[in-house]
Amino acid sequence: MHTTMGSKDNGTLRSDAEAPTRRANMQTKLSHSPEQQTGQAAGTTAFVVSAYANANANTSLEKSKSASTAGAMLIWDLPLRLFHWLLVGAVTVAAITGFLAPEWWLDVHSWAGYTIGFLVIFRVLWGLWGTFYARFRSFIFPVDETLAHLRALAQKKPGHYKGHNPAGALMVFTLLGTLIALTVSGLIILGGQENIGVLAGYVSFATGSGAVEFHEILAFGLLGLIGAHLVGVLIESLLSRENLVRAMIDGRKSVSPVHAQSCVGHADTSAVNQRELPPAKRVWARAISTVLMVLLAGSGAAWALLKTPPNGYVAMPANKTYASECGDCHQAYHPSLLPGSSWKKLMAGLEDHFGEDASLDDESAKEVYAFLRRYASDKWDSEAANNLRQVATKNPITITATPYWQRRHKDIGKSVFAQKRSAPKAIVLPATKMR
Amino acid sequence: MKSWNGVSAVLAVLYLSFVLTPAPAAAGPAQDQILKHYQDLAGADVTFSADRGKEFFMAKHTGGKPKSPSCTSCHTKSPLKSGRTHANKKIAPMALSKTKDRYSELKKVKKWFRRNCRSVLGRECSPQEKGDFLVYMMGQ
Repeated sequence: MHTTMGSKDNGTLRSDAEAPTRRANMQTKLSHSPEQQTGQAAGTTAFVVSAYANANANTSLEKSKSASTAGAMLIWDLPLRLFHWLLVGAVTVAAITGFLAPEWWLDVHSWAGYTIGFLVIFRVLWGLWGTFYARFRSFIFPVDETLAHLRALAQKKPGHYKGHNPAGALMVFTLLGTLIALTVSGLIILGGQENIGVLAGYVSFATGSGAVEFHEILAFGLLGLIGAHLVGVLIESLLSRENLVRAMIDGRKSVSPVHAQSCVGHADTSAVNQRELPPAKRVWARAISTVLMVLLAGSGAAWALLKTPPNGYVAMPANKTYASECGDCHQAYHPSLLPGSSWKKLMAGLEDHFGEDASLDDESAKEVYAFLRRYASDKWDSEAANNLRQVATKNPITITATPYWQRRHKDIGKSVFAQKRSAPKAIVLPATKMR
Repeated sequence: MKSWNGVSAVLAVLYLSFVLTPAPAAAGPAQDQILKHYQDLAGADVTFSADRGKEFFMAKHTGGKPKSPSCTSCHTKSPLKSGRTHANKKIAPMALSKTKDRYSELKKVKKWFRRNCRSVLGRECSPQEKGDFLVYMMGQ
């Protein structure tokens, strides 16, 4: 896809504006080294970057010329900048809720994750058909060029790129890859452990739990990458005497004569600009249709995926006998809160049921026991069933004695449990239906 | 004159019987059925008494589970008020006037007498105790 076009005046770096079309060349008044431009045009590998390039050559010419003369030109289009800062926001929310907030912030964390997933998909598509500097092929560099750039960087004399430089490009791809892996592993955890989200129907609890460690390692990796990204931006800003943070806000990067010597592909600035940054209207039309496409495809995929009921989900009809025989005195606990072996022991000791006689006539006892065994935790793959399956050996019939329950409540003071409780609302155990 | 006296005497008797009889006011056929069940068990010579029922309800018993020495442990001292189970679930008032569908299903009545007599007294209650209790609650 890429040809390293040996520019005459710098041996190692190639033009990032690879193939200005002849028409664009002819219409452009070149301000810098015409012979380089001609050379490049002659050596053009037919690579038409922008579908709308030629059509807009005339209209955007004036604009780009003025931008050129002002010493700065629009490099990062507005959708790209919006993507960047929305991603910063979503990642911040995901990081805070993921690293610091208690578990009941999971909803916010998940929605931050969905937002990140959406933004990354948009970015990938924008990398295929966005404006020139947003496209992946404008910053996929050959290995030797990347190495050369890094060597030059070590000597504090990196070549100037209008778009991403090879180091920055590496960072972009690594960040995008990490975010994709984080989003996917997050969905696996959500589907496996919580039985919610688009993968709920396809991932077991064990798989979801297995993905947790992976997700955490990636999250720490992302923190490191963000740090490296910020350091990189700082270094590049200092070395190039250009505020790159501001560039990601107003989209403009310097192409002033100061940079001309080392500025890669600088010669064809105006040609590139008028071709690769079409009028805002067109950029917006394309960006909005991309967003709609992602949303439409995303909700379509979600709708299709959500048709499958959660993995390990059991359709459970309501049982009237259970609801009244057990639910008259206490909450009719979901049968999946204890394993079958515990229900067996519990049903055998109803005459002294937590300090009360809760005996049943044989017929009711039989029905209740059958119901409990059939829908006991052994039969489900839900989070509660998995966590509560392990019971206390000395007290196997008490849900609150299970190691999991104890662990989750250990920080709650005894005084809280001793408080006089207000009447709980009647809890009706509903029949669960297949979705 | 005599005939008038006769009429007023009949009216007076009717009036007094209406006022004085501790009739199970709200009890319907379903409740009567259940009362009859316990009457049959207790024998025809036993007359159920609401006063004895009240005494039984309020009394502190021994022999049951430590958590529940009395009916009032859960049902409170007023049959008109709702109570709480040990698991803190609301129990509708025991008085028939407050909970209209009480004492209408023999299976349920039997179940609760069995469970709660064992919890409170540590034994089954006698048909007479059950009858007294029912007459008391149906009259409340």
